[in-house]
Order: sequence, then structure tokens, then C-alpha cells
Amino acid sequence: MALFSVEDLSVTFRRRGRVTAAVRGVSFAVEPGRTLAIVGESGSGKSVSLLAATGLLPETAEVRGSARFREADLLRLPRARLRAVRGRHIGFVFQDPLSNLHPLKTIGAQIGEAITAHERVGRAALRRRVIDLLAEVGIDDPERRIDDHPHRFSGGMRQRAMIAMAIALRPELIIADEPTTALDVTVQAAILRLLRRLQERYGTALILVSHDLAVVSEIADDVAVMRGGEIVETAPIAEITTAPGHPYTRELLGAARRGAALADVAEPPAAAPREARPLLAATGLHMAYRRRGRKDPVTALTGVSLEVREGEIVGLVGESGSGKSTLGRIVAGLLRPTAGTVALRDEVYNAPGRGPLRLRRDLRTAIQVVFQDPYGSLNPRRTVAATLAEPYVVNTGLTAAEIRERVEALVRRVELPPAVLHRFPAQLSGGQRQRVAIARAVALRPALVVADEPLSALDITTQAQIVALIRRLRAELGTSFLFISHDLGVVAELCERVVVLRRGRVVEAGPVRRVFHDPQHPYTRELLDSIPGRVARV
Amino acid sequence: MSSPPVLEPAGPAGPCDAEDGRRFPALRAILAERSTRFGLVLVGLVVLSALLAPVAAALTGHGPDQQFRAEALTTEGLPVGPNAEFLLGADGNGRDVLVRTLYGARISLLVGIPATTLALVAGTAVGLVAGFFPGAADRVLSFGTDIALSFPFVVTALSLVALNRGADGRPVIDPVLLVILVISLFAWTYFARLTRGLVVVLRNRPFVEAALTIGVSRRRLLVREILPNVLPVVAVYWAVQLPANILAEATLSFLGVGVQAPTASWGNMIAEAQRTSLYQVQPWFLLAPAIAMFVTVLGFNAIGSGIRNVLDPQR
Repeated sequence: MALFSVEDLSVTFRRRGRVTAAVRGVSFAVEPGRTLAIVGESGSGKSVSLLAATGLLPETAEVRGSARFREADLLRLPRARLRAVRGRHIGFVFQDPLSNLHPLKTIGAQIGEAITAHERVGRAALRRRVIDLLAEVGIDDPERRIDDHPHRFSGGMRQRAMIAMAIALRPELIIADEPTTALDVTVQAAILRLLRRLQERYGTALILVSHDLAVVSEIADDVAVMRGGEIVETAPIAEITTAPGHPYTRELLGAARRGAALADVAEPPAAAPREARPLLAATGLHMAYRRRGRKDPVTALTGVSLEVREGEIVGLVGESGSGKSTLGRIVAGLLRPTAGTVALRDEVYNAPGRGPLRLRRDLRTAIQVVFQDPYGSLNPRRTVAATLAEPYVVNTGLTAAEIRERVEALVRRVELPPAVLHRFPAQLSGGQRQRVAIARAVALRPALVVADEPLSALDITTQAQIVALIRRLRAELGTSFLFISHDLGVVAELCERVVVLRRGRVVEAGPVRRVFHDPQHPYTRELLDSIPGRVARV
Repeated sequence: MSSPPVLEPAGPAGPCDAEDGRRFPALRAILAERSTRFGLVLVGLVVLSALLAPVAAALTGHGPDQQFRAEALTTEGLPVGPNAEFLLGADGNGRDVLVRTLYGARISLLVGIPATTLALVAGTAVGLVAGFFPGAADRVLSFGTDIALSFPFVVTALSLVALNRGADGRPVIDPVLLVILVISLFAWTYFARLTRGLVVVLRNRPFVEAALTIGVSRRRLLVREILPNVLPVVAVYWAVQLPANILAEATLSFLGVGVQAPTASWGNMIAEAQRTSLYQVQPWFLLAPAIAMFVTVLGFNAIGSGIRNVLDPQR
């Protein structure tokens, strides 16, 4: 008998007279001690169906079907009874631990609230229980950390605190909605291990929502694949990974295999013409930020040197806070280092100094950037055509007709339909926006593109498409890329060489094959071990 | 205090949107807002009455400054109440209150709209520069804004108007123009602060940095990338600031330093009714300009809040 079973669930939203069906006839079930993973791209309805099943959607949503939790249909339960079930019997872990924690309350108070909302507990006993919970989710020194505010916790610790809240009352079911998407790979692996350990200890049922099949394959027993508001396939994980039934599952699996297929990076790097002098040479870069009201500066980079050859894709890998974005911004000429130089074809263009950096026109256009956030990197008030025309308008004396021609060619080059030209960024998907950003970067045929986490805001299937696009652009235009990422799987697939950055220092650098097969530094090994999908397979 | 939100084009902006909603989804959503429609009706009424004031004058045969001491004043010299000839009665000098109220709408709009627009242009320019160039420029301009904000409005306005007297005792420049200048002198600071806050946020957005890496000049960056993102917010604030400035004109006229008699302004009409205490025998002398002012301010505020409802993502 399933602990939690959803049958024929449908959700429609009504907004300004328009009706959209978000979920259509979805059924799934999970048993005690088992893990069900719901996998699909964003907008496929995976979060909505769980929110609907637990009565967390706003009034504008119309929910039909049934969601049985131990004989009670949650969709027909009165609000008060439903609240008693949620929290006590069903625990929740959400994607973004920062926005789900109250910034002005201590961690301890917030976890305590999860308990006192359902039980009457004495003050001392409550504190004891919260400390035990924090210790259980692996927070060091819980007696002291219980009185910290969320901003003193790292992303991974915040997610641990959220998990502590979810398990506070030993619920029979935990619903985790993209619990590791906002986290670094090493932290992600630790959180997944924690969830699995807790589940084994207490026999909890777990529903895990993710867009990444590789993440899911670490701990799931069964997988439901969702697309366009419907479940296209439900099967045990072994069956999904070995004999996927639906073509979309195969696509997801293909995208997820990247990380697992590290052993197969046997293909030698595309024979780039070896030249004596590198395209880009950064030498001895130091970067220190002054903090307001503090004497001691924060050091972001220490003695970093880096080379990129013509037509080469170099991966820059590290956790958040390792200084990789700072390095990218210095290379892009958006930031001055406090020591060291950056040179393009032997010409130094970035060195310490005062005021914003001014670059010669030909140097400025030779180095372009693709940013992480496809929502922020396009001006929301300008059409795609206007955004893509800008490089030509500013740097060339072409006529309007010639520019239009080039913009159209550019759009074709990044495989976008011509119709997007007259749209605003808000009318594009994340993948389309990132294509536009890439098109803008390659418009003037730069020698080097700094791509700062260009994939991390995208779905895994879209990621695979953008990787293919970058590879094709390199082949066609001979552009070099400095590819900044925390995702080793992507780096292994795309790059020839990799530089591993940790706390502002280069700990390892070399050809991807050598670094991934024979990592010298323990940190590189840790990163490699954290790649999702490896545990299940090895 | 948190910085003001950067407005994104709102509305259901899916690729499947209908053709007419494609370019201006926000505009359509704003017009669908109930409070905007309500405000538009009220403001439309005010504009219409300002435009039709001469028609009313011609129909009744009463000019706005014309005195009808024989017909409109009783034998004791008190104004008559509403009757067939004078629909809203007369004032202490025997002038038609209805016609004067309609002409007063012209002054209110004639002062309020240019003053607010002038303040918008000046304040936005200052805010753009202060927000975009950190360091000395920002410090000087922000300090200047703070100083301007610290002047008491009424006292400063009174002294400025006092200075506007030539040797012959006649005003050097047109009082209406002076009122416009005085009001915008105080109103620009709000626009400057708002714009500066927005620009500081926008300056570090990736799309601004992307434009920098393309090699866009700083002027083009300000005009093409940042200004279009600031303007909608500032435009909303224009609608919010306008009623305050209409009230400011009325305040100055009430204090006798704004629009001078015999020209009709709601402010000096209310002042006259209050000074002579004639509203006790002829309440419409006071009520007509007061209600007109209330309707105008309510209308613009409703439009402002309607636009904010749609554009502000934090609501």
C-alpha cells in the first residue's frame, strides 16, 4: 500500500480570463523507505503537481484528481486538517534555501518554529531538540551555530538547516524540490548523501524533484519523467538508465551521461595549431577587494597565471567563491587586477591602475563576454534585433541595410528562428536568450570569448544544445573560449585544457584528459568524485 | 532603505501572445487596470472642462473676470447662490463661480504639467549622472539634492516671489512662469533620487557590462541602455508627482504669491472665500474649486497607482 499516491491530477490556472493547463492527468505513488524522483525540464509541471497535491497552490489554480496520503485525500481535507498534515507528516525542502529562510531570525528559532507549530515543547527541550537536529544534518558545532542568522551560513549549510526543518517531526514523507540546484557540486553530493542517510535511518518516503537525471540516479528507486504537464514514463531507475522507453527520457539521459562518461574523453583534443605564443596570457594576477568598514581586504586571486591558445577552449573550474568569475572579469577587461598583467597576442591590455579600464577599439572588440544570467544580460527594453545590431552600429560604419543583413545571418548562425528578431527578451526562453547573448558576443568575430557559467541557469537538455553551439562556433570561426563552470561534466565534454581554481589559487592545470584521469591535487579528486551519476554507476 | 525596484516589462509576455499585445503588453495591462480607467475618466473630465471653459463663458455670457454686481450681488452686497443664471452662484465680486472654476482648471494644468515635466527632465538628468559616475560627481550631485530637499518650500517660495518685483512694483517675469519654476525647483529632487537609485542598480547589470565589452561609449550607454529602463519608472512617478504640484500651485496662490487676481485659480478662489468668509452665505464659492481640485488629484493618483500595480514586480 503506497504511503502517498496521486491519481489523475490536473491543474489549470486562470489569469486575466486566460486558462492554461499546467498539469494533465498525472499519477504517481511512493512507498515508505523508497525514493521517487520526478524529472523534467522547467515548465514541465513537476513542481506544480506536487504543490497542488499538498494544497500549496494559490486560489487561482483549479486542481482536480486525488492525492491520497495514508487514506486521507489531501485535496478534500479542510484547511486546518491539511496544515496539521503538512510539516508534521510531510516535510518540504525547496530549491533556494536563502529565500526560504527568514533573514532576521536565527536558524535555531526557525527550526524551533517548525516544531512548535505542531507540538507544545518546553524551551530547554526545544533547544536540545534543535541542536540534535542540526548535528544530525551535519552542521559542526551546533551549540554555537544555533544562534546564527542565515547570512552567516553558506549555501550548503542553509540547505542543511532547511532539511533539519523538514525532518524535525520525523515525517513519513519528505518532498525535496530541486534541493541541490543552487549548490556547488561538492556540496550537492554531500546533501544527496545526507538525504539518503536520513531516509535509510528513518524509513522515510522521499519525493525528489530535479531537472537532472544524473543527480536523481544517485538516490532514486523509481523515476517519473515529466514533459509538458504529463508523465511520459515511470520506471525503476535501473530500467530508466539501461532501457529508456520514451525518446524524451533518452534525450535527458544523453544530457546526463556527460558527467558519467568522463572515462570516455579519450578523443584527442581537436588538433589546434600549436603556436609558440599564446593568444591570451595572464601572468601573476592578484586581486584584493577592500571591504567597507574593514581594514583587511578580501583576497580573491593570488598569483594566478593562465594561457589560452588560438582556437582553444579552456575550462576554468572551481566552487563559488573560488575567484573564477573575478578572473573572468579581469580577462574581459571589466576589472583591473591589483597586481599582474593580461596580454592578448603579446600586447598587455589590463594591468593595475586607477579608474575604469579603457581599451583600444580593436582590443575591446577582440574579447567578448557571455554572462551567467540570461535574464540579466539582455536589455529588457530593446528588441533582439536592436541588441544584435549594437556591436555593428558602434564599431562599424555599415549602413542600416547591411547591418540588418548581418544580424539576420547572426541569428541563423546561432540557430534561432528569424521571428525572434522583433521580440523582447521577456518573450524568449532562457536557452533562446543565451543564444542571443552568444550571438552578440561573436558578432564582431572576437579572438576570445569569456563565458562565465553560461549554462548554469539552463535546463540540462538546453545545456547540451548550447555546448554543441559553442563547439560549432569554435570550429567555424576559430574563436577561443575561456569557459568558466562549476560543472566538470560539461568541461570534460567541451574543453581541451582545464584550470582548477581554489580559494583564488590555481591548484591544477593541464589537458582535460590528464587532469580527469590522473588528478594530482586532492581538491581536483574531490571535485571529480562529486560529479552526480558516478556513484550509482561505479 | 532598499533601492527602488527596476521595472521589467510586465504582462503575459509569452511568445504565443496576440499580435496587438506583442509590442506593448504592459500598456494593454495598464489600460485593463480598473483604477487607471477610473483615473483616466476623472482626468479626462478635468481636461475637457479646461478646454471647454471659453464655451461655458460664451454660453452663459459671463467672462471669467467679468463682474456682475447688479445681477449677482444682493442689495447687502452678498453673492447670490446657485440659480438659473449663475449655476454655481457668484463670488464676492459678482463673478460666475462655475466659469471661474472651469478657467481654474486651465491654470492648474498649465502650471502643474510643465512644472512636473521640467522637474522630471532636470531630476532625471541629475540622477543619471550621479548614479552612473560614482565618486566625486555622485557625491556633489547627491549633496546638492539633499540641500535642495532641506529648503522649506513655502518660505523659499515666498521670498523668491518677493524678489520678483521691479522698481515700479510690477513683477519682473510672468507670475505663472515664476510659479512653474519655483515648483520644479523643489520637485526635481524626488526625480533625481529615484533615478539615481535605479541607475546604481542598472549600472552593474550584465547587459550594461555586455554593452561595455562591445565598446559602447558612455554617453550611448546612458542614453540607449540605461535611460530606456529608467523612463517607465520615472513616467509613473510623473503621474504621482503631478497632483502634488497642482496642490503646490494652489498653496502658493492661496498664500497670494502664486497666480494673481483677477486671474482665476483654484488656490486663490479658495483663499478669497476663506478670507471674506462669504462661503457661509454662498458655500459653492468654496466648494466648487475644492471639489474640482479633489477630483483632479484623485484622478491622477488613480492613474499613478494603476500603472504601478502593473509595472511594479514587487506588488
